[in-house]
Amino acid sequence: MEVRNYPELKETVLWEVLPNGLTVAIVPRPGFTRKLCYFATDFGSIHTAFSVDGKAYTVPEGIAHYLEHKLFDMPGRDVSAEFAAMGASVNAFTSYDMTAYHFTCTEHFEDALRLLLEFVSTPYFTPESVQKEQGIIGQEIGMNEDAPETQIFELLMQAMYRDHPVKEPILGTVESISEITPETLNLCHRAFYRPDNMLLCVVGDVDAQQVKKIALQVIPDAPEETVTSTRVWQEELIVPKSFTSREMEVAMPMFQLGFKCQPLDRGEAAVRREIVGELAAEALFGEASRLYLNLYEKGLIDASFGGGFETVEGMAMLTASGDSDCPEKVQDAILQEVSRLTQQGIGEENLLRMKRSALGRRIRGLDSFDSVCFRICAYYFSGFDYFRFPALYRDVTEQEILDFLKETVRTDRMSLSVIYPKKEEE
Amino acid sequence: MIQTIELFPGIILRCCRSDRFKQGCLSVQFLRKMCREEAAINALIPALLLRGTKSCPDLRAITLRLDDLYGAAVGTQVRRVGDYQTTGLYCGFMEDAYALPGDQVLEPMVAFLGELLFCPVLENGIFRADFVESEKRNLSLAIEAQRNDKRVYAAGRLLEKMCSADSFGIPRLGTREEEEKITPQRAYDHYRKVLRESPVEIFYVGAAQPEQVAALIKPLFARLDRSYVNLPPQTGFSDPPGGSHCEEMDVAQGRLGMGFVTDITLRDHRFAAMQVANVLFGGGMTSKLFMQIREEQSLCYDIGSGYQGSKGIVTVTAGIDFDKEAAVKAQVLELLRQCAAGEFTEEELISAKQALISQLQGIHDSAGAIENYYVSGVLSGMDKTPEEYIRAVEKVTAEAAAQAAGTLQLHTQYFLKGVR
Repeated sequence: MEVRNYPELKETVLWEVLPNGLTVAIVPRPGFTRKLCYFATDFGSIHTAFSVDGKAYTVPEGIAHYLEHKLFDMPGRDVSAEFAAMGASVNAFTSYDMTAYHFTCTEHFEDALRLLLEFVSTPYFTPESVQKEQGIIGQEIGMNEDAPETQIFELLMQAMYRDHPVKEPILGTVESISEITPETLNLCHRAFYRPDNMLLCVVGDVDAQQVKKIALQVIPDAPEETVTSTRVWQEELIVPKSFTSREMEVAMPMFQLGFKCQPLDRGEAAVRREIVGELAAEALFGEASRLYLNLYEKGLIDASFGGGFETVEGMAMLTASGDSDCPEKVQDAILQEVSRLTQQGIGEENLLRMKRSALGRRIRGLDSFDSVCFRICAYYFSGFDYFRFPALYRDVTEQEILDFLKETVRTDRMSLSVIYPKKEEE
Repeated sequence: MIQTIELFPGIILRCCRSDRFKQGCLSVQFLRKMCREEAAINALIPALLLRGTKSCPDLRAITLRLDDLYGAAVGTQVRRVGDYQTTGLYCGFMEDAYALPGDQVLEPMVAFLGELLFCPVLENGIFRADFVESEKRNLSLAIEAQRNDKRVYAAGRLLEKMCSADSFGIPRLGTREEEEKITPQRAYDHYRKVLRESPVEIFYVGAAQPEQVAALIKPLFARLDRSYVNLPPQTGFSDPPGGSHCEEMDVAQGRLGMGFVTDITLRDHRFAAMQVANVLFGGGMTSKLFMQIREEQSLCYDIGSGYQGSKGIVTVTAGIDFDKEAAVKAQVLELLRQCAAGEFTEEELISAKQALISQLQGIHDSAGAIENYYVSGVLSGMDKTPEEYIRAVEKVTAEAAAQAAGTLQLHTQYFLKGVR
């Protein structure tokens, strides 16, 4: 396997593309008992339009998540119970642009790995089981409808995006999932669960040769057909709606503010852009900013306030959220602060401190197996080797950050989403 | 593995030396008896300490200082451990080995932690009134925010109904009524009292030698005027039955809670058996509750049970449709009966034991988990290392697990349902 060393992080990653098309990444953690494994596909809720050998398909919203649930079914076997019997715990999640299946264990790693690869690569859907899942996912959709933090984000996406499928909930709707059939699930599995569209990432003290061997035994070769999916959406940078709100059972108003940015490309340039966005957010309203202190002392924000730069394939935004009695005042203050900041600048010393802090936080984050596995997968799908982040921090300049802020923090690119408490009924 | 050093009477430093992590952690906890009058003010104190010190008089100055320490994090930590409430600060910081040549993190971090704990910014000799006001507001929001998460809310309401006399019924962060009574003077007096009389637990995980850590920390506490008072021992649960309660709210999904009691606490020799019984019954994706009620019968989205070993309470919570209350309750009781009657397979027992063992084996892989395990363990009276605990779990037989399940008695029921 190719060995990549990152001396400043005291990390090593082993990489290889296997003959069946699957890429494997192993992050050794000598001396740790826990092992974590992600088997991830570059397929999320936004990938509903694609073509296979030139034939175009559009599948129902929410199918990526539905498929994630249904893959746990194997004929005559109980996948969760088998993992549990090994002392492993298995789970999965679907985001806008990725689906990942993962388990963690301390013993029986190789058996658990084999089982993970088997169940994810074995589609098994019957009309009855697909029908039954609608009840379970319907409940999950119901739970999301009661969850203010999900609602506020989904409302914001609907306000900011006209065409990009991020405006649809990851889970889909009760109506959209009722259109899902065993055939559509099989179609998505065939199109997106090809080994060359996936990454197997392991963090822990494991035998790399065994991981490769098992992945080669279990995973069949990639089928010889061409799949292309829609990954670019025509979106104006001007937002369709600048304000959206809803009433829910919350104690005080919650808000999320978004500034629409140019979507990122792939590779190093994209990650550099992400770091610029992250540092810009720090400079503008991070905890060390003037604005944060000012808003906090005026009682306009509290400790729940936070923000940053967020991306999904084909979309990017600068965002801030929290609880506030006057979200509009927070919004106005951010707009005002950006004009001061772009005029007066950040200052070399401040920028160095911000970089040191951001870098230290990322290094501390490497202790988390979950964060390492997740980031390696997410950055791999956007064409970047995650552990190369320290060099990118060093390169970012003050001018890049100020240019980013000037171009992004503008009223026509901004939407505000608010969840208000329900009014007491008389 | 854990080295314990008594710095002063009632001030204990415990160190877990490890160079496997990129992040070290240090927590300082003041121990209080959980009581209604103090819960909110104890929760408020650490938040006030994070508002400013003599040399860093506001939030921004504190953040800038932490940014210089490679983005170190300091947070408040308020725990409930059995009958105790802990209040204090927790910091996570990058290990010195990753800093630029010549830079240090641990030493200035400890110095700054001392400043945060003992040199708050004052006004006329007490906490600043505006800081107290805004942190009271944050606290009241944190107390009320529990309404936003219906799972947390329903689980909290179940405990309140269940433990009307026991300290376990007091919300971890106290109540709005007590929060409202806090004044800058009361907060400052209470802070002095906490420093003077509370037992202190300090926990460090990181690459430095325990002696070095002790040498850094000891001077911080040397000048405290102490007359320390020991805490009463932990107690089991003995409240009268809590009945059945229903509450209405505008929600799309109902939340069911059922509270059971057992005389087995984590200080009991049957503790491991009770843990295994709980996992078998409702802990995780292979438990009876999950497999039967969710997977087989699709009666709920989520369901599970949790065992509060410091008290001897098992709670079952589930998200269900409003009309499924009776059906789910009946099923929960039936599945508990099966556990107590030993009606489970060898595989179910092995899975339950394996799940517990895996969790315990993983503790030494995370600095935060190590801190949490030992601090909670020491305070609640469970003096086993993870390894000893694993051996106890391995020895649990089917009979012992069934007997433990048989001690569970339904005590209180709660249902949160929609208004329409």
